[in-house]
Amino acid sequence: MLQKPWIKIFIWFMATFFFFLASGVIISIFKPGPTESEVMQFMMGMMAAMDQSMMGVAMNIEHHGVLQEVIVLSTKFMIPLILISTAAGFVIRYVQRRNDHVKP
Amino acid sequence: MNIRFDFIMHWVYAIVWALLGISGFAMVGAKYGWLLNFDYATADYVHRLMAAVFVLITFISIVYEVYRNIKNDKRYLAWSVFGKSGYQLFTFITTLILIITGVLIWVHNGIGMTGMGFALLVHEYVSYLALAGVIWHIYVKCHALIWPKKVDRQSEQKGRGGKADVAKAMD
Repeated sequence: MLQKPWIKIFIWFMATFFFFLASGVIISIFKPGPTESEVMQFMMGMMAAMDQSMMGVAMNIEHHGVLQEVIVLSTKFMIPLILISTAAGFVIRYVQRRNDHVKP
Repeated sequence: MNIRFDFIMHWVYAIVWALLGISGFAMVGAKYGWLLNFDYATADYVHRLMAAVFVLITFISIVYEVYRNIKNDKRYLAWSVFGKSGYQLFTFITTLILIITGVLIWVHNGIGMTGMGFALLVHEYVSYLALAGVIWHIYVKCHALIWPKKVDRQSEQKGRGGKADVAKAMD
């Protein structure tokens, strides 16, 4: 297995990745800074992450009436749909089992 | 093709660790942001998603080792992620520390800001240690990087212990 060329390429890729990662970390530790622009970019990134988090998404929904209505409607649909699909599954299984007895 | 379970787990673990590493180190601080072009949101998303997979892989590996112990399987699995000694033990300990501190950082209710700060500190420094361990592991196992030699089929058939000779011996 280890002698396969594609495995070798994969191992080379992984090894290179880890060496570049370690190099990146060492550069980050020893480089001067952080500069003001780096701090600003990092904080903007954190704000964006917060906006996309569950909390951020929930906060955005609060001010979105149409989306709220869609969520309420889809929640109402969900339980009957699960029940119908479960029942349909059982019916299909039952019908198939009954047909299995008929030998060609 | 005979694919071993421990071989698969080893490389799935490596891929998940690589993604956790790049996304995690990009979130350490402003000095590290350039690693992922300051895309904190993507790093956060990838890190949380991969953390769940990481916990799952760890759980499966531990269950597999426990199962082997119950079955009294004493075989040494070279590709196994966890083990009783050496780098496998080191990986096991660092993995558990990273998971415990990671859970504390994610679900930080009840530990306060001090507790969370401490968990973050431990998580960060154990990650450095684990990354150094990975580099050492690659160095020790660098023979896996050697490209396989081409098999000379003509010389194989001229009677140098090739498949043709084996077939003759079987006759």
